[in-house]
Amino acid sequence: MLIRYIGRNVISFVSYFGELMMLVFDSILSLFVAPIRWRLFLEQVLEVGFRSQLVVIVTGAFTGAVFAAQTYFQFHRLEMDSAVGAVVAVSMFRELGPVLMGLMVSGRVGAAMAAEIGTMKVTEQIDALRALGVYPVDYLVVPRLLAMVLSAPLLVAECCGIGILAGYFVGVVMMDIPGAYYVDYMMKFTGTRDVKMALSKGFVFALLIVFISCHQGLNAREGAVGVGRAPTEAVVIGSLAILISNFFLSLLLNVIFPLSTS
Amino acid sequence: MMVMKDEKFIHVHDLHKRLGRQEVLRGFDLEVASGETVVILGRSGGGKSVFLKHIIGLMKPNSGEVFVDGQDVVKLSERQLAEVRKKVGILFQSAALFDSMSVEQNIAFPLHELGLKDRKEIDRKVAEALEMVDLAGEQKKMPENLSGGMRKRVGLARAIVGAPRCILYDEPTTGLDPIVADSINRLIRRLQKRLGVTSIVVTHDMKSAFHVADRIAYLHEGRIYFKGTPDELKAADDPLIQDFINGHSGEID
Repeated sequence: MLIRYIGRNVISFVSYFGELMMLVFDSILSLFVAPIRWRLFLEQVLEVGFRSQLVVIVTGAFTGAVFAAQTYFQFHRLEMDSAVGAVVAVSMFRELGPVLMGLMVSGRVGAAMAAEIGTMKVTEQIDALRALGVYPVDYLVVPRLLAMVLSAPLLVAECCGIGILAGYFVGVVMMDIPGAYYVDYMMKFTGTRDVKMALSKGFVFALLIVFISCHQGLNAREGAVGVGRAPTEAVVIGSLAILISNFFLSLLLNVIFPLSTS
Repeated sequence: MMVMKDEKFIHVHDLHKRLGRQEVLRGFDLEVASGETVVILGRSGGGKSVFLKHIIGLMKPNSGEVFVDGQDVVKLSERQLAEVRKKVGILFQSAALFDSMSVEQNIAFPLHELGLKDRKEIDRKVAEALEMVDLAGEQKKMPENLSGGMRKRVGLARAIVGAPRCILYDEPTTGLDPIVADSINRLIRRLQKRLGVTSIVVTHDMKSAFHVADRIAYLHEGRIYFKGTPDELKAADDPLIQDFINGHSGEID
């Protein structure tokens, strides 16, 4: 019984992973063999990039603020107030910015992608595309992929920037940490390596969100239940994939962009 | 255009298709000559739509061959199929309009894909196609604001606008009022006569079948059970066919 249960899950995981990889290869192939639909790309940039800003800004601002406050409460007892800025900035760039951007965008954009493509699937619109000689990956996946790859690193940067500003506000304006020291320490301990790490993570999370969500949409089952399940699973699988891959990315990127000791 | 009855545009041989545990097509054979209109009759859920989807490769059979204009559709990859699909228009049962686009954009879509750039030319063709389906002037409406019958006609306009050589109709008159249904039947006839379009019409609407068909094929249990002209079908003394034509369920009260 147990072996059968485990076996079935392993098989379904492997076949899911295989399907996902097929979609990845198909999309890469499409970049080379099919003309890129720039109008759809711009529409998607507007949708996934431009319109995600509010969510990302609010998330970044309050995360930076609360992180600064908590760090201050701890560091104040050690009289290390002026180190708060450095801690906030490094954490925002290395972990919080990319992960929170990923989770929020997965919830907003990933769900929408899965729902939209899933609805097209069950209402035969994808078959209609195919019948008109249009390959769905060219038309639906590639514009979304390119838009996300462009937008996600920018959204991460925005999230981190706003978070650091909010941290400054909490630290310097509310908690009376001397501003000059706050900024000086922050600049000293934060480098381009941290920014590169943030952008690299944003790029990888963009790929995860697009492929997982589009795959869920393209494979949506018939009926209202099937279409309803696609966005839910896109968000659950997408978020888990972001959190799990984040750990390994941190280990890997730490080798590529090591934390400086100076 | 000359109608060449001897040239086979579509040739389907020994098609088998299983969906889940159900064997929907079990050795389906059909030949359709260039310029001919063939109606496929059969009960709901009998595999008529499934068969249509095989012609343009939207579904792949478990075994069998499908030739369209001399090309074996089964062996072509999704990208290679694009060329065959541009020769064949399809009206889906649900119309399958792109719901993020207006009527105009829906109908212009195949023209863009065919590489047409001239705005005026596209507008003219869209207007022409809409006129053909009695929807002149409805360019700006969105699909969600159309009735079921209107959607179907927009779907038909989208199928014919690229001037395909063959049109597949999946239940073209189902759910339409008798007057609109009649105008659709006349349109199918007109397209065949004027442009020599090859057509396959899948339906269970007997009136429509007798109106448009050159030949009728009756699908039963995944195979073509009967093939012949409308008159031959009417004259057939097979009880299965007579029950279908007359709408008897075979139950006794």
